[in-house]
Amino acid sequence: MGATASHLGKDLLSEYQELTFLTKQEILLAHKRFSELLSKEDRAHPNPRVPTEAILTLPELKSNPFRARICRVFSTSESKDGLSFEDFLDLLSAFSDSATLEIKSHYAFRIFDFDEDGTLDESDLEKLVNCLTGETDDTRLSPEEMKQLISNILEESDIDKDGTVNLSEFQHVISRSPDFVSSFKIVL
Amino acid sequence: MTTQLQRQGSATAVQGTGYMGDQGSPRLQRVPSSRSNHNAPQFNWSPASTAQEDAGQEAAVPPKDLRGLPIPMALKRAISQVQQMQVPVLSSFQSWKRSKAKSLSRGRKSIRGFLNYIKLWRKSLNQIGGNFGDGVQSYFLFLRFLVVLNFLSFMLIAGFVLIPSIVFRSVASDPVNMTGPAECRQYDHNPAALVKFYSYFLDFLSGTGFMEYTYLFYGYYNNTMVAGSDFSYNIPLAYLFTAVFYFAFCLICITAHMGTAVRVAVATGGGATGSYSRIVFTGWDYGCLGDRSTKLKQKNLHYQLQVDLEEDRIKNEAASLTLGQKIFLYSSRIVLSLVAFGLIIAAFFAIYQATIFSQSKIDEIGVLGLIYEYLPSIVITAGNFVVPVLCDQIALLERYNPSITVIVALLRSVFLRMVSLGVLLFTLWSQITCFQGVSGKCKLCHYNYESYPCWETRVGQEMYKLTLFDLLITIAMLVLVEFPRRIVVDSSSSKLAQMVGRQEFVVPANVLGLVYGQTVVWTGALFCPLLPLINTLKFVIVFYCKKITLFSNCRPAAKTFRSTKSKVFFLLVLLFGWSLALVALIYSIAQIHPSMSCGPFRSLSSMWTIIPDSFYGLSQTSQGFLFYIGSQRFSIPLVLFFSVVMCYFIALASVYGTSVNLLKAQLKLEARDKQFLVKQIEALSRTLGVAR
Repeated sequence: MGATASHLGKDLLSEYQELTFLTKQEILLAHKRFSELLSKEDRAHPNPRVPTEAILTLPELKSNPFRARICRVFSTSESKDGLSFEDFLDLLSAFSDSATLEIKSHYAFRIFDFDEDGTLDESDLEKLVNCLTGETDDTRLSPEEMKQLISNILEESDIDKDGTVNLSEFQHVISRSPDFVSSFKIVL
Repeated sequence: MTTQLQRQGSATAVQGTGYMGDQGSPRLQRVPSSRSNHNAPQFNWSPASTAQEDAGQEAAVPPKDLRGLPIPMALKRAISQVQQMQVPVLSSFQSWKRSKAKSLSRGRKSIRGFLNYIKLWRKSLNQIGGNFGDGVQSYFLFLRFLVVLNFLSFMLIAGFVLIPSIVFRSVASDPVNMTGPAECRQYDHNPAALVKFYSYFLDFLSGTGFMEYTYLFYGYYNNTMVAGSDFSYNIPLAYLFTAVFYFAFCLICITAHMGTAVRVAVATGGGATGSYSRIVFTGWDYGCLGDRSTKLKQKNLHYQLQVDLEEDRIKNEAASLTLGQKIFLYSSRIVLSLVAFGLIIAAFFAIYQATIFSQSKIDEIGVLGLIYEYLPSIVITAGNFVVPVLCDQIALLERYNPSITVIVALLRSVFLRMVSLGVLLFTLWSQITCFQGVSGKCKLCHYNYESYPCWETRVGQEMYKLTLFDLLITIAMLVLVEFPRRIVVDSSSSKLAQMVGRQEFVVPANVLGLVYGQTVVWTGALFCPLLPLINTLKFVIVFYCKKITLFSNCRPAAKTFRSTKSKVFFLLVLLFGWSLALVALIYSIAQIHPSMSCGPFRSLSSMWTIIPDSFYGLSQTSQGFLFYIGSQRFSIPLVLFFSVVMCYFIALASVYGTSVNLLKAQLKLEARDKQFLVKQIEALSRTLGVAR
């Protein structure tokens, strides 16, 4: 693709600017941080792929409870493990300041869909709430509270009453929350 | 990677990506499929693109939309390559237009990147938000907004009032004719010949002495009306217009800053419904850095969910109270509200007495004189500390929901702070215009000229003292209370120290402090034109002080409520302060007689009369035009037009509401149809299978 690990070509840089929501400085900074994560032998590879464990050492992702899901969603490899530089840019673009509500809500939906079946059913919601409140015993909700919470969520957002939340219903909830765009942000 | 173009003239066949959730979204109809085993992606060009080509316009998706497609980079690159290959036949005008649009968007992007880079305190705010959560960060964002607002206001005032005054004072120094009795025109502002050394410091703190007759206060400005051959500048008119425009400018900034948040809140009918899904789907802040802040955020969310669930339980219980219990609950609430109200009234009375006492002792010198000068500020601050604490305890007894309790206590604090300022102003006004008491003093000059030879400067001094005192209290709290508390808690291991614990950064109380300071500035800006500049410096100092105390002394708060940290709530409270200041401004301009010994309005009977006076100096056509705009022939049709427009929008909104409900019902029906059909299929396949 014409990019060595140490330097990003100018036309490639402008192409990335066209295809993502990132500014030039952000792309260069992303390239720098990505190169630091590469091991020695990977640097010579034309299209290097950083394994997931290395990505999770980034301080912006290290303590995020959704870090494993994020890496899985943005990875384009067959085994869904490891991000190439372009996957990394896609990740940063979706989480950037100027990304639109549609793309953020789309990726949020994919991150929350733990079993990757295209809808958020009760098990997905339960895992989501556990991620939000923490996995330790004293921060978990009690089973009755969890049941009540999930039934409340489904009652509020499941418009067609099929027992799951699909993408449009999810986006409907998101569109009524003005804070979402500013909180769904990761800046290097 | 090979690409295949497939043009289909019929309706688009939706090719999902490897992810199955996309089937409902019409936006992705042109998205190719991407299996991980690199199948050739297939493209669908909808018939709409052929129609557009026939019309001679650009075909295909404009390049900007590519960024918004939720597909991997490699596919986006493929689509853009295809788009570039498919160069449509454009006229030279259209290609010029397209290239201009591209360079414009590139320029806009670079400007936005630059603006983001130079945003004030960006790094500090990111640090605060990442470590202490977005509740605390919202306070600092609000503070930054106020700093910028005050600085821009100061630029406005400097440009139109301060600099012309400086120029004209140095150029021409002829006093314009002054009318009125001689006693009213006496104004001795020169400080005494022999002054003690420390009196300079006392004068700086109270705005008297050497500071009184300076550009800081209203009394220094002359009523020069320069009228050259091709240049004329009317200082009183400029002063008045600048004050009015300053208020309008602040209103526009505040409403613009509320922006999208208010539009969403109004359009979706508030945040009452959907709160659980909203917390769960949008609650996480991906900017949290580090384990500590992540755990804090998780604790926050846990607490919020628990509180909401408990409120639901309480609501269900409350609906099942007996009649006797309900009567008892409501009557106890009324009694406690009256108690809280009585406390607030008592605070107001204390402020009233303190102000009268302070004004009567205006001639004391030395440190005792300084204390008497600052007595209103001291009483107001003491009231602002004591009464909210008591109101909090009362609110707990009233047994509302937890979030309603917080809001009720907060609203009481807002009421207390704003109206105590109003009481101070009312007391000053009653002294100046002899509302009660000795009425003979005010007969001669329409105001109390003996005690207040230049009353506007006196009011400006009070506001100046309030601002300075606020700043001194903040710094004193930091040094004398918060640091020692941290040292005591960290070093001692007694149970009491552990129970008290480190300080929490309470966002609503701090925001109220900012709103109070800003309201004081708005009230005082007419009489003390440099007050916005002083306030800018004050808020900058407050920013750094609060940041230091946050990082050194505070532990993060585990319990916050969404409503109390929202930007819209802060700005609404700020608007409330603005409206109070507006009332004071209108009253000062229209009703009170300006002092005859000082200031730009010394020869007029009220500040407002400068406008009719200069109006008649305009040319005949301008007068005619302005008269026409104000007449009924123009205004009644205008009002009718706007009523028609409003009716249209109301009708539109109600139609949208009905169609939303219809669509929801339709979705439900379709889902039920789908389930019915699936059951039929299963039953059918079973009978067929059995038959086989």
